[in-house]
Amino acid sequence: MASKDVVEYASPARRIANVAVVIFLAVYLLWTVLPIFVMFVSSLKDLLEAFRIPAVGDWSGIALFFDFQPTFKHYANLFVNLNFGVYFFNSVAAALGSAVVSVTLGATCAYALSRTEFRGKKDLFFWIISTRMAPVVAVMVPLYAIFRSLELVGSLWGLILAYTTFNLPFAIWILKGFFDNVPYAIEEAQMVDGATRLQAFRSILPLVAPGIGAFLVLCVLFAWNDFLFASIIGSGGAKTLPVATKELVQPQNIQWGSIMAAGVVTTLPMMFLGLLIRRYLVTGLTMGAVRE
Amino acid sequence: MASVSIDKVWKYYGQTAAVKELHLEVADGEFVAVLGPSGCGKSSTLRMLAGLEHISAGEIRFGPKRVNDLPPRDRDIAMVFENYALYPHKTVFDNMANPLKLRGVERSVIEERVRKAAAILEIGHLLERRPGELSGGQKQRTAIGRAIVREPALFLFDEPIAHLDAKLRAHMRGELKLMQRRLGTTMIYVTHDQLEALSMADRIAVMNDGVLQQLGTPRQIYDHPVNAWVAGFVGEPPINFLDCRIVEENGELRLVHPGFNLALRPEQAAIVRGRYAQDEVRMGIRPDQVAISTTQSPDSFGGRILVTEPIGGDMLVDVSLGKDKVLVKTRPDFEGRMDGPCYLTLDRGRWHLFGKDDGVALF
Repeated sequence: MASKDVVEYASPARRIANVAVVIFLAVYLLWTVLPIFVMFVSSLKDLLEAFRIPAVGDWSGIALFFDFQPTFKHYANLFVNLNFGVYFFNSVAAALGSAVVSVTLGATCAYALSRTEFRGKKDLFFWIISTRMAPVVAVMVPLYAIFRSLELVGSLWGLILAYTTFNLPFAIWILKGFFDNVPYAIEEAQMVDGATRLQAFRSILPLVAPGIGAFLVLCVLFAWNDFLFASIIGSGGAKTLPVATKELVQPQNIQWGSIMAAGVVTTLPMMFLGLLIRRYLVTGLTMGAVRE
Repeated sequence: MASVSIDKVWKYYGQTAAVKELHLEVADGEFVAVLGPSGCGKSSTLRMLAGLEHISAGEIRFGPKRVNDLPPRDRDIAMVFENYALYPHKTVFDNMANPLKLRGVERSVIEERVRKAAAILEIGHLLERRPGELSGGQKQRTAIGRAIVREPALFLFDEPIAHLDAKLRAHMRGELKLMQRRLGTTMIYVTHDQLEALSMADRIAVMNDGVLQQLGTPRQIYDHPVNAWVAGFVGEPPINFLDCRIVEENGELRLVHPGFNLALRPEQAAIVRGRYAQDEVRMGIRPDQVAISTTQSPDSFGGRILVTEPIGGDMLVDVSLGKDKVLVKTRPDFEGRMDGPCYLTLDRGRWHLFGKDDGVALF
């Protein structure tokens, strides 16, 4: 088998480029990781310690950052006084609920679009994607009106439905690519072997599992990180973590410590999820895109 | 076990007819190859037999039973697909057990039948592997194993060995034929490789452009093609075609070409007189029915050697004859030199004449 490496020849320009790449990556890493690091550290600091910052240009003062007594009082405040347990549950329920609904409906629809031919199929498919082309804000007002008249505003069900509205087209679009990549002959073989159409469909689900897994995660991420829907559709009864965090910013009192702790509480689960499914996410997303 | 009747079957894809009024009877236990180039309708035919495509018009019967409206699972067939269509996430054992599991066969019976089929196909040691870990030949055996565990009434094979390398393909031809004889199951085998059809089948159905051209034993197809197309498609190296004229001299019919002028045999002349009004014909003769020599003899005529290709046991010689080229298959010790002279003798008992316009065989 041929090597997939790009053949490179040493030249002065190439050497300079190599150094530049390393410098760029180092700066980029710092740029990305530093805010998260500050958030973690600050959530464990007392307010006074958190604002002790060395003077500009005083690099030796950097040790000040690490000179503090760790405290969990901000976390305790979140969960004991501020009801964050409920908001955490709301976030999880909304994210998982919409992901499961989107994937179930999306997989069956994508399968139908992948396996059957009918008049207007291309138009239908384009229409499905086009619903994702408008910015969310543009449809927020009519959506709110509809949801209010259906008494879905402020309920977890309303939030799940709202996320599904936006995740479903995406699910159909991505999963169709996965189904397209499964040879139809496998289902035909199943049917000749004695399977019904539905059994044949079920039999190829393991083959699109990476796609379904990757997509579940994308759905969860979208819903988990969403602020707009949560603040408008979910306001009141179905408050999620981002909305609750935002409410920590009050005119006379910005609760920096609690905000940092809330940030950590919001970030950590998704980080673990990312680590857990990192492998599937990559194979899943490329498998749908690249035909072999 | 079942006989198969394909009765005036048509298949349309939109406005295009892929199969045109196909009529084919397959006897119980017979091995029939459907041979043709890609796009000739042979795969559509097989898929209609399997129930994977609707039949646009006509009727297919297994035995006395009409199957037009039966889903594949109720037809009691087993099919081997061109790309094997194995389930990549299942082991060889589970792949082969699948049709039995779907029919609710007992676990112990499944075990026994899969092991037996695996033994016949010599893949017993691979049962725990997945398709990704198998070679092409092993995958193909697994696909065949999946077909034979159930002892169906009819085997449908869709170019099952087309993707194997040449050596393995030759080996599998013999094995498949032996397996079919042993099981005695009716087999319909689709292929574009005339060698597979000639070597394995009891009868061959040659198709082109959706139309059945000829149905017959391999000998009939090879020795008595019904038209120029069948003659040209079957046979490797391919038959030589030479445009000739028929001329009457001294009461006998002669075949005249810029390179030769040869008398037709009396019985051949009678056929031509009775059935053919034009004087232009296409003569077809297979490369092994032309003798080549460096010395002249009665009935031979001269040509020029363009190129010689030794292929082990035989030698192929390209000879230029006026504006035409003739391919000759001869012994490997033929001593002619490239660009040198040579003399050809045609086996007049075995040449064919085809109508100039319609290509229909006169003999």
